[in-house]
Amino acid sequence: MSDQHIHSAYDRDLEAIQAMIMKMGGQVEAAIRDSVTALESRDEELARKVRAGDRSIDELEYLINEEVARIIALRAPTAVDLRLVLSILKICGNLERCGDFAKNIAKRSTIIMASPRVEGASATIRRMARQTELMLKDALDAYIQRDTDLATAVIERDLDVDQLYNTMFRELLTHMMEDPRHITPCMHLHFIAKNIERIGDRVTNIAEQTIYMVTGEMPEEMREKADTTATEQV
Amino acid sequence: MSDMSMDSAAPRRSSKSLHEVDARTRRRNAAETRFKACGIGAIAIGLFFLVVLVVAIFRSGLPAFTQTVLDVEFALTQEQYEDAESQLFKTKAYSQAFNGALKTQLDESGVTLPFDEASIERIAGKVGGTIREYFRANEDQLGQPTSFQLAASSRVDGYMTGRVTRDGFQDSRFLTLADLDLVDALEDAGIIRTQFNWNFITGADSGVDNPGGAGIGASVVGSFFMMLVVLFLSLPIGVAASIYLEEFAPRNRFTDLIEVNISNLAAVPSIVFGILGLAVFIQFMHLPQSAPVVGGLVLTLMTLPTIIISTRASLNAVPPSIRDAALGLGASRMQSVFHHVLPLAMPGILTGTIIGLAQALGETAPLLLIGMVGFVARGYPDSFIDGFVEPNSAMPAQIYTWAARADAAFYDKAWGGIIILLMFLLTMNIIAIILRRRFERRW
Amino acid sequence: MNDMRLLERDVDAKDIKIAARKVQVYYADTHAIKDVDVDIEDKTVTAFIGPSGCGKSTFLRCLNRMNDTIDICRVEGDIRIDGEDIYDAKVDPVQLRAKVGMVFQKPNPFPKSIYDNIAYGPRIHGLARSKADLDDIVEKSLRRGAIWDEVKDRLHAPGTGLSGGQQQRLCIARAVATEPEVLLMDEPCSALDPIATSQVEELIDELRQEFSVVIVTHSMQQAARVSQKTAFFHLGNLVEYGETGQIFTTPQDPRTESYITGRIG
Repeated sequence: MSDQHIHSAYDRDLEAIQAMIMKMGGQVEAAIRDSVTALESRDEELARKVRAGDRSIDELEYLINEEVARIIALRAPTAVDLRLVLSILKICGNLERCGDFAKNIAKRSTIIMASPRVEGASATIRRMARQTELMLKDALDAYIQRDTDLATAVIERDLDVDQLYNTMFRELLTHMMEDPRHITPCMHLHFIAKNIERIGDRVTNIAEQTIYMVTGEMPEEMREKADTTATEQV
Repeated sequence: MSDMSMDSAAPRRSSKSLHEVDARTRRRNAAETRFKACGIGAIAIGLFFLVVLVVAIFRSGLPAFTQTVLDVEFALTQEQYEDAESQLFKTKAYSQAFNGALKTQLDESGVTLPFDEASIERIAGKVGGTIREYFRANEDQLGQPTSFQLAASSRVDGYMTGRVTRDGFQDSRFLTLADLDLVDALEDAGIIRTQFNWNFITGADSGVDNPGGAGIGASVVGSFFMMLVVLFLSLPIGVAASIYLEEFAPRNRFTDLIEVNISNLAAVPSIVFGILGLAVFIQFMHLPQSAPVVGGLVLTLMTLPTIIISTRASLNAVPPSIRDAALGLGASRMQSVFHHVLPLAMPGILTGTIIGLAQALGETAPLLLIGMVGFVARGYPDSFIDGFVEPNSAMPAQIYTWAARADAAFYDKAWGGIIILLMFLLTMNIIAIILRRRFERRW
Repeated sequence: MNDMRLLERDVDAKDIKIAARKVQVYYADTHAIKDVDVDIEDKTVTAFIGPSGCGKSTFLRCLNRMNDTIDICRVEGDIRIDGEDIYDAKVDPVQLRAKVGMVFQKPNPFPKSIYDNIAYGPRIHGLARSKADLDDIVEKSLRRGAIWDEVKDRLHAPGTGLSGGQQQRLCIARAVATEPEVLLMDEPCSALDPIATSQVEELIDELRQEFSVVIVTHSMQQAARVSQKTAFFHLGNLVEYGETGQIFTTPQDPRTESYITGRIG
């Protein structure tokens, strides 16, 4: 099958929305990285930058929605084009949500900056953040390269994030039991960890969209939930 | 796509104002104007020749519709009749009586011009015979004044219509200058005058020496019977053949051959059909000579290709969607042809038929070969059936015969015949147009 | 969830109306249709799509033997309607065409009155015993053609005086009047404006209650709108045949995908 449509303007439209989604992905990646960096280095300025940057992500989402609506109305996409457009819409929504989580992390980090340090926690947070950020990058790469293997790998890697979250959960619990003064920062740290874990889930969704777009089928629920904190007594 | 890019070496259109006409456009416009002028010129030349033709036909043909007559009132007593009948030269006696009556009439109108029997004979022919015929047939008219209209000779006729003039006129044994003076005097006296020649339209052919008595009526009837034969043979045969060829026949070598031959037949010279008719219908089948039925058969052969070609063309012009519609509804081939295709093709078929008939009406050569020459058209057929088998002529053959005769008066008759023929053709074309309008339907 | 989808789309298993096996069509030396196997269901709209010259119209015309009218056309293989081989020597194509009606690309009403257009089929097939019978059939067919209200006051006006969309619905009503079991439509909307197209499409969807409808269309959107099953033809082959929704979202064959997404293929 040739890649080019007979209408070259159609190709340009599809390329444009994919470029926009990549730009949005890049911004979300940066937001995640910066929010965690701000938390780690107690950089209030950087945290403010992340919170301000979310507006630009929201604007991009709005633009992409507009563009997708226009393509559906004017081009009536079918088959692979239809799946492409639909997946863009979904990925766009997921990315926006990731951006919101990053913003929330930045917000909470300014509160944590005013509290005493919780030893050891930030290293795990950093690992989690690093992991999800890579997952997001790979998910977007998989999307743009139509690489279902990479997408599947991304979905599997969400397990690690979930496990890191479980570890984090227990760590924070220990900290809070040790010292009641840690309860406030630990609660915020927990929310941050939860946000990162959620970002991981969203990235999984993005990877699933890639598989749907390429194969026309949603991947079956193959990973067991590794976030056991909701089901297990600790 | 790169080969379609704009920066090729081809000269670019200069973007000048639309209000200036560039040289190229001017040249193109000039060429267009020249072409239009040529077209108008061609049409003008065509029209000019048409006008010349019509004027020539009417100028030469109209005299055929008039005749010059001597109007003489004349009473013959019983004694005169018996006296004349007892003489050796009976017609001479009648002539003398006529001359006497003519002299009386001239004297009454105050013309005193001496004339003799010979000049009367030159002007009005042998009047005695005509008068004797009349009274022998109507003896009860004896003693009563009877008005005679005697046809003047063709030369006097020519003098009255302007064909013969006094300039450079030379006395001959047919007409002298003195006779012309007498004719003028008779005209002044109201005895000689010009009237519409009904006999030309209704009469039959006359002898070579009597152009005044020649009429085209009998050959019109001959043409009519021939056209009947042509119409009732060629229309059904032609239409049936075309429907079969167009709608039913498989396309193969054989039908291709038939098609080529039909086209070729349309181009075969008519004289070939004439000789064919002579050989087959007369010499082989022993059909009567000079009969309109044979002429009709020959012309049918000639007309068939025309009708078949035009019928096939009009069948072909019926949109295939109509056939599809009928077939799609479960109509058979024949139903689709007769219910839908044929009615739509009708105007075209009728036009083709009438054009074919018109061609046949004007055909001369084959008729001459089967003996339908002008001089056989001596009278009307006795009955409808006789109309087909009694020797007769047809209009164009009659015209040809007249044109070939020596007497210049027949020349007028030939042109007159042409006028009648053209009127028939015109009528047929008008019928064709009316039929077309009637049958024409949108689809 | 799957059950719900089936109910909505109304594609539960139906009787097979037309079964074609290994159909080959040749135009002189050209192999126009190659090895086509297809099962067309009863009371279903089946759409044939594909680029020009792919053989979809040719195949459609095999289903009521309209190709018989073309001398050089030769059909091989097995096409059965209700289990009866329609290319059997005993089958009279005229009878077959009464059972398998056809509507054409260009609206082609006869140049007669609207009434006579509808009445023609019933007349030649002897479906009406009396004038009143015929009147009934005409009215019923025009109603089924969704055009009764527009023409009931001028039944004796010429059918050619109607607008394009009305003419096409008249042609559909005319095809329906002979009580066919299958209705073949060869690009029935290609000469119509979008509104008339919508009306005809709505009509096709209604006709599905009674007939098995097979429609050839160049408009993929139309196929998507009106059909339950879609067959994609390419270069004389039946490339893909399946449920319309599936063909338009997840076609299995790359050629189908290229065609329906408008790629050079």
